[in-house]
Amino acid sequence: MLPWFLGCSKPPAAVDPAPLARTTLTVFAAASLAESFAEIGKKFAADNPEVTVQFSFAGSQQLRAQLESGAQADIFASANEKEMNAAKADSLVQPDTVHDFARNRLVVIYPASNPAKIGTLSDLGRAGVKIDVADVSVPVGKYGQQMVEAMARDPDFGPDFEKCFLANVVSREENVKSVLSKVRLGEADAGVVYVTDVTPDAAKEVASLDVPDQFNQIASYPIAVLAKAPQPDWARRFEDYVLSGDGRNILREHHFLAAPSDGH
Amino acid sequence: MDGEHFTPARLSRGRSKGRSWVRFGGTSWWPLILLAFPLLALMVVPPVALLSKISPAMFFRYVGTSAVAQAILLSLWTSAASLAITILFGTPLAYILGRGRFVGKNVLEVLIDWPIVLPPAVAGIALLMTLGRRGLIGGWLARAGVEIPFTPIAVIIAQTFVACPYYIKAASLGLGSVSQEILDAAALDGASRLQRFFDVTFPLAFRSLVVGAALTWSRALGEFGATIIFAGNYPGRTQTMPLAVYIGFEIDIHQALTLAAILLIISFGLLIGIRAGFSKT
Repeated sequence: MLPWFLGCSKPPAAVDPAPLARTTLTVFAAASLAESFAEIGKKFAADNPEVTVQFSFAGSQQLRAQLESGAQADIFASANEKEMNAAKADSLVQPDTVHDFARNRLVVIYPASNPAKIGTLSDLGRAGVKIDVADVSVPVGKYGQQMVEAMARDPDFGPDFEKCFLANVVSREENVKSVLSKVRLGEADAGVVYVTDVTPDAAKEVASLDVPDQFNQIASYPIAVLAKAPQPDWARRFEDYVLSGDGRNILREHHFLAAPSDGH
Repeated sequence: MDGEHFTPARLSRGRSKGRSWVRFGGTSWWPLILLAFPLLALMVVPPVALLSKISPAMFFRYVGTSAVAQAILLSLWTSAASLAITILFGTPLAYILGRGRFVGKNVLEVLIDWPIVLPPAVAGIALLMTLGRRGLIGGWLARAGVEIPFTPIAVIIAQTFVACPYYIKAASLGLGSVSQEILDAAALDGASRLQRFFDVTFPLAFRSLVVGAALTWSRALGEFGATIIFAGNYPGRTQTMPLAVYIGFEIDIHQALTLAAILLIISFGLLIGIRAGFSKT
């Protein structure tokens, strides 16, 4: 199985210039954007009937690796600055189009049946609790690690907390949605995901524990038009839509935090 | 599985006394060879390209790192365990399939083909639904205090599920092709049922069993999709070489390349070793 090729389907190379010709816009977006971007894409396509928006959702680091390997897309939306900066350094994106469009925060989730009887964050350090996290190569995995380090510096948790938490980690998934799935299925006792992953649908099966601000890591989501975008004009219009009031409203409905205004 | 192979070289010896290896019985083979070339190139070039990206210095620098060493060790022992389980339980099954005559044999054969055609990710989800904490059987096990997902046991189960059909199919063909006349003759000479199996059937089918075992072992070593879903990904516990290649592709391409090269060498080595071993005997 080679899942990283899933997103590599090329949009049609030659587009008929006739006004009714359908244009395919390919958007590579972080897995945590799956629901919100699907809705944005639907609205954008409704406003622009000549455009079909095609998404590839995966871990940001995976998308960046695909782009480096020559995958064709028009838009890249990452769940952290690191992958966007790497893409910028490799001249994969048009630098003037890079803008933060949303922010996200972490939350601890557990199955509604709560097999490990999790009541507070400190329960995550109790021996035998099965915690599922994303790999540290995935943005949410890195944020989760920083969260645990911040907790360990707090006397309420103590320096041993980090060691105990890490000893409880049963798997390091390759994207945030796998963490969610394993908690929803009740295979893991707890997981660290983004607030936005707990959709109304997921909330039927999982409960969540808020992570206070002093430990929480705020994820910034940058978006950019790719340097080799087959549809650069449509890509810019899509990005403008994401950054517009309508786009921001959809993101807010999906519990994203507003990005600090960067003068766009 | 491993019958007489059709090679121009062999044919040339048999039919045209080695005069020209592309011309047999007056027919030119060039059109066929040209048509066969694209697929052959597709199979040969990528492994060569992969190996060409690795320098010995890089290989030895990465092979000693703990992440790589852990993945190799885990892959080797879990795949060996899958192979042992497959031989232990697969041989009787192969014997039944190869030599038995019963109603529903076709159905059984289809069931055994099933893991081969099933996408491994589907196998992973199916295993989770079976042996997960809330699974069909896993639910009982969990109540008894046994939890399989996220453990090396889950890795072994995933590998066995996906890889065992290769051995069973090869073994049933081999065991089934032992002639009944020879067995009857041995019985006439007073050989017991067990003697007939170990002294007649087993040696005659040995080659098929070994080829099947090698295929199963290679497939188990390469298992990815079912493992990452059912067993998860944890270094030293469930992160086998293919998982480390996948994760490494995004973090450290050199680590991924080193592991990929090792996997390639092991699987090639297995297939070549067996062929060489048999051509000597």
